[in-house]
Amino acid sequence: MTKITLSGVNKSFGANFPVIRNVDLTIEEGEFCVFLGPSGCGKSTLLRMVAGLESGYSGQISIGDRVVDKVEPADRQVAMVFQNYALYPHMTVYDNMAFGLRQAKTPKDEIDRRVQEAARILQIEALLERMPKALSGGQRQRVAIGRAIVRQPKVFLFDEPLSNLDAALRVHMRSEIATLHRNFPAASMIYVTHDQTEAMALADKIVLLHAGKDMLKHGSIAQVGKPLDLYHRPRNLFVAGFLGSPTMNFLEATFVAQEPAGARVVLKSGEELVVPVDGSALAAGAPVTLGVRPEHLAPVVGPAPQTLTRKVAAVEHFGEYSFVYLEGGTPAPLIAKVPGDGGVKASDSATYSAPADCCHLFDADGIALTHLTNT
Amino acid sequence: MASSPAARVTGRIAVPVLGLFWLAVTTVPFLFMVMTSFKSQQESFSSSVWALPKALDLVNYESVLEGPFLTYFKNSVMVVVISVILIMLISAMAAFAFARMRFRLNDALFGLIVAGMIVPIHITLVPIYLLTRQLGLYDSQFALIGPYVATSLPISVFILTEFMRQIPKELEEAARLDGCGPFAIFFKVFLPLSGPGLSTIAIYNGIMLWNEFIFAYVLTSSTSTRTLPLAIWDYQGQYTSNIPAILAVVTLTSLPLVVAYAFGQEKIVKGMMAGSLKG
Repeated sequence: MTKITLSGVNKSFGANFPVIRNVDLTIEEGEFCVFLGPSGCGKSTLLRMVAGLESGYSGQISIGDRVVDKVEPADRQVAMVFQNYALYPHMTVYDNMAFGLRQAKTPKDEIDRRVQEAARILQIEALLERMPKALSGGQRQRVAIGRAIVRQPKVFLFDEPLSNLDAALRVHMRSEIATLHRNFPAASMIYVTHDQTEAMALADKIVLLHAGKDMLKHGSIAQVGKPLDLYHRPRNLFVAGFLGSPTMNFLEATFVAQEPAGARVVLKSGEELVVPVDGSALAAGAPVTLGVRPEHLAPVVGPAPQTLTRKVAAVEHFGEYSFVYLEGGTPAPLIAKVPGDGGVKASDSATYSAPADCCHLFDADGIALTHLTNT
Repeated sequence: MASSPAARVTGRIAVPVLGLFWLAVTTVPFLFMVMTSFKSQQESFSSSVWALPKALDLVNYESVLEGPFLTYFKNSVMVVVISVILIMLISAMAAFAFARMRFRLNDALFGLIVAGMIVPIHITLVPIYLLTRQLGLYDSQFALIGPYVATSLPISVFILTEFMRQIPKELEEAARLDGCGPFAIFFKVFLPLSGPGLSTIAIYNGIMLWNEFIFAYVLTSSTSTRTLPLAIWDYQGQYTSNIPAILAVVTLTSLPLVVAYAFGQEKIVKGMMAGSLKG
């Protein structure tokens, strides 16, 4: 069993700088869990706590059936891949990969077998006698992963492993990490990134973390779930705004009434929409925020329900799709992501439908109202 | 920032001129030393100071080498080698602790050790002399090793601590995950990676100690225990000095450093630069 459990975990740097608050989290055996969040949210700190590289926290961390709070990093059966690779510059690739096994007094034959096997998996057999300085960024990252593989850990920890690579290599290494996960199905993996694309592509489970005041108010964890759950059913404004690019459009609105089809709201511009959520706890006239993703706004011609009509402020063309910037967003401009060239130009008046199923409604505290399909 | 043409021309002239001036400042005394060491005592008085020797007279060198010069040389090598090894080992361990370990008095102790750099060694002479006598080490080569190591540690710890602070924290953490304790991290990761810093302090202290005079003068007295800088005294009487012989001693004394520099120039400069940049 390599289930990882964090119970009531809190950590502060000094007396006045809390960095992790009230983390209760379970990562199942073989699960690929991604810690995602903005800079300073403590995602790397949380990972390092699992690795045993951070002390001075309250709460309890277990790996398998064992509480590991007092266990040395080397005895936790974890292996970590660092952002800057952390290869020993004075050792060859082979020695880098063999170092941990030598420390553990593993027999020479076994060390050689494991290093060769990892080198074969990562296709770095030809690099084994090279020094790290003679390797490219991608090769170094493979060696760093190889160093983790040879230890046959129960838990792989990745601390932003792709952020030093160029865009093309990052996509390639991302698929290699996904392959690695398939090759070691019993090992749990925790992966830290601030890149939502990596998180969406790799994760079985995303743990999205708050930073700053949100962390102090609500605790570190903003939402835990499958990538598409977070995308389609964000729990609050922070989650809704963090996932997705461009970010979700937010519009100030007023709750009118709860109807069988959902909550009727009226926008400041006077347009009325029905969002299929349970707003029965709201009083008529309560301020709410309507959320709709740019990719869910579809251009319509002629009168239709659930639409927003705005003046086009600007259009950005990307060939496959265009971003249409519309006036009247709150506070940022409203964006519609439409196929092709968008069919409009600046100063035009354009109408976009906001399908009810794709709309989100947040109360005055920024908490998402429950979708009726979920109840 | 682009410089004006006039400034560029001035720079193009000033740099070589200043370079040549500095070359003269450093080379002329050296040439004077070597030239005079080949002159007889009489010639050194009668001829011009800058005149070339009439013949390559090796008599001064013969006289120096027939004397206790080789004993001094052997003592110097022993004292300097042992001292430098101890300085490297102790300062590296101290630097590792200061650079990487968190403990309550870290900053205070580091400050105290670095403050040792401002203590003039002359005010420590009497206590060290008395201590050395009490320990029964007076007039032995070992009497020099303690003071040499102690007086060299502040600057060495300072240089190496700054050097080790530059080594990425992740290497230490990777070593911890690989099963290393503090000693294994030090010996297997930090020490090999501190090569440029260690060579800097080895070169710096090696030169300083090779030329060290005052401790050697105070703590040793017999020919069998004295080091090279004191060899000069064998050729200095109460009323006269055999200057060519003294300069032959100085030439022979500086020869090992010159040879070492000639063969290891690239490495020495690299080591000094690495130390200066990292430190």
